[in-house]
Order: sequence, then structure tokens, then C-alpha cells
Amino acid sequence: MNRSVQAHPFHLVEASPWPLAVSFSLLTTTLSGVMTFHGYSNGTFLLTLGLISTVATMTLWFKDVSREGTFQGHHTFAVQKGLTLGFVLFVVSEVFFFISIFWAFFHSSLAPTVELGAHWPPAGIQALNPWEVPLLNTVILLSSGATVTYAHHSLIQGNRAGVIYGLIATITLAVVFTGFQGFEYYNAPFTFSDGVYGSTFYMATGFHGLHVIIGTIFLTVGLFRVLSYHLTDHHHLGFETAILYWHFVDVVWLFLFISVYWWGS
Amino acid sequence: MFALRRAAVRAIATPRPTVVRPFSVLAGNVAHRDADSLIGPGAQPGTVPTDLEQATGLERLELLAKLEGKELFDMEPLNMTHLGTKQNPIVVKSMDTTRFVGCTGYPAESHDTIWLTVNKEHDFDRCPECGSVYKLDFQGSEDAHGHH
Ligand SMILES: [Zn+2]
Repeated sequence: MNRSVQAHPFHLVEASPWPLAVSFSLLTTTLSGVMTFHGYSNGTFLLTLGLISTVATMTLWFKDVSREGTFQGHHTFAVQKGLTLGFVLFVVSEVFFFISIFWAFFHSSLAPTVELGAHWPPAGIQALNPWEVPLLNTVILLSSGATVTYAHHSLIQGNRAGVIYGLIATITLAVVFTGFQGFEYYNAPFTFSDGVYGSTFYMATGFHGLHVIIGTIFLTVGLFRVLSYHLTDHHHLGFETAILYWHFVDVVWLFLFISVYWWGS
Repeated sequence: MFALRRAAVRAIATPRPTVVRPFSVLAGNVAHRDADSLIGPGAQPGTVPTDLEQATGLERLELLAKLEGKELFDMEPLNMTHLGTKQNPIVVKSMDTTRFVGCTGYPAESHDTIWLTVNKEHDFDRCPECGSVYKLDFQGSEDAHGHH
């Protein structure tokens, strides 16, 4: 049996259950999320189920993408270009997601209404001191940007130990950052339900924290793929997009630190 | 868990005889490789693999072609060397029995894009705007209907 090579460089994907599976997982997650927020019975149980199935289908889907690229060679130059473009567009959509959250913050804080005491932070709210844990977290996140660059350049130069240690340092800094954010949340003198200050503060920092956690997982996948010899010196798109994502999360933090933590206090 | 990829790739790839038929102008030495040459030697333990050591499948073919200074896939737009005529048409290479051509006249960009379906069965295809003639040069095989 002769099998000719396809006449074009593009990857026409095979039938896959994951788009449908992830659709139902996300539907379950959003519906049960709303149920949870409104106190319906079994809301948290269904939400847990939705989150687990979302993470599971994402894992299996991305595992397929890794296999297609690394083991089957479907990721030609044209395909790599398409994947890069797709991820850049995704990051652009993330930028606008955070713009909407910052918009809500500035809408309430730039001209605080009389109900807030015509003042920001609103009357009765004791804001966090930006020069304590938030400044430390800024240093930690910026340092992680440096270590991830070290890891990337090590990979390009074929220094396996460098990329592994660089990534371990980055992931450690990321985990420490998340730990400090958890510490701040635990000790904060205001809550999510303390008016518009709490709402905007926890929406902004909470979604940023979620993105840090996702970015940490993204980089961890990159580390495991280095350990498994998946990534070459010049073909490591999953790692490159993880780095791009990490820098994006880093920049969002700088805006958060300047406007929400510093100006907003 | 962290096995070298080479072993895993060998386990996946069922060695079936493969005739590589590249898209356009490749010479024979890339055009006939067996399944085994689609698998690189892999990285030495403890090193970062290079593309050439590790790449497999279509990606590897692309790399090997580039090593020979060629492109595996001809992605360039049609070169309008002249206004096609019945005696001297613009030849359109194609792996399929038809290919869509967007004519912009001669020289290129002379008129708005007009899409033509250049067909293997036609004696010639002519642009209704500028009259340029196109002729399909079928490169594929008659029984190849394997594409998705
Ligand atoms: Zn024309």
C-alpha cells in the first residue's frame, strides 16, 4: 500500500471528542457556578464536578496536541505560525478581559459617590499597605520573569540543566507569590462583600491570581516536557506561549500594583 | 517516565512503506524516503535535542528539504510572467484535479481578484476580465482520494 504525503503543510485534525466534552464541562461549570453563588442546593457539588471535568478534558486535549506535534510531526512551520497567532489572539482577548475589570475599578474609584463618603478607599475601608507584601510580590514576580528568560535562553543554547533549574526557580517563585496572595487574602481587613471596594479589589486580584495559577501549571507542563525530551532547541511552542502568558500575567500585576494597591490606597 | 522520545516514536510509528510525494518541484532524493528516515536519531541523554535530531513526520520532511535548500511546500503565489494565452497559458501545478486561482491580471494587481476554478478536464480556463488563460498541470495520482 502506497501512502502519499499530504500536498499541503497544514494540519487537518482528526475527529476528536474533546471540543464537545469541554463544551459540556464548561456548561456544567458556569451553570453550577451561578447555582453556587445563589445558594441553590448541590451547587458546590456540581461546580466541583464541572471543574474536574473541565480540567480533565483540557488535559486530554492538550495531551493530544502534544502527541500530534512532538510524536507525529504535524506541527510544520505553517502550523507553528498558526498556533502562535492563535495564542497571541487569545492573549489579546485576555488583555481586554482585564481592561473590563480595571474599567469597573476606575469607574467606582475615580469619582467615588457620596455613598462611599466621596472618598477612595471608601469610608470605613482600611486598605492594605502596598509597601509590604504587595511590593514583595512585585519583586518576586519580576524575578520570575528573569528566571524564565534564563530558562528559555538555556533551552535555545542546548543547556538542559539551565532550562530545568531556571524553570524550577520560576515555578518556585510563582508558588511563593500565590502563597503570599493567599496570606494577604486571609489577613485582609475587608471582604468581597464589603461594598464596591471589596468587589473590585477581589475581582481584579482574584482573577490575576487565577491567571498566575494557570500560568504556573502551563510552565510546569513545559518543565515536564523538557524532562521528557519533548522540546527541541528551536521547536518549543508550548513553552514559548507559556512564557508569553507568564509575562502577560506579570504586566497585569504591575498595573494592579500601581492602580489598585498603591493609587487605590 | 522521562524516557527519551526516540524510543516512544519508534513504538508509535508502524513501519509501513511510504512513498513521499511532495507538492511541487522537489528532486528525487527527498521524494523517496521510507518510514524509518522520518524518525531522527533523537537526543543524547542529558542534552537538549536539536530539531534535526528530534523532528519527525511532515515536520522532518520540511526540515530535510530545507537542508537541501528547497521548500517542501510551494506556498508562493502564481508568478504572472505574462498574460496567459491558449498557445502559452499560465501553468498551474496542482495535487488535486481542480485548483482555485485568483486572477488579478497582468501585470499582477491590474484588476480586482476574480476567482477561477482551473480544472484538469478543461482544455483551458480563461479569466473573464483580462482574458488570461490558465492550464492545470496535474501533479497528483488518479487514485489518491485520501485527503480529509
Ligand atoms: Zn484576469
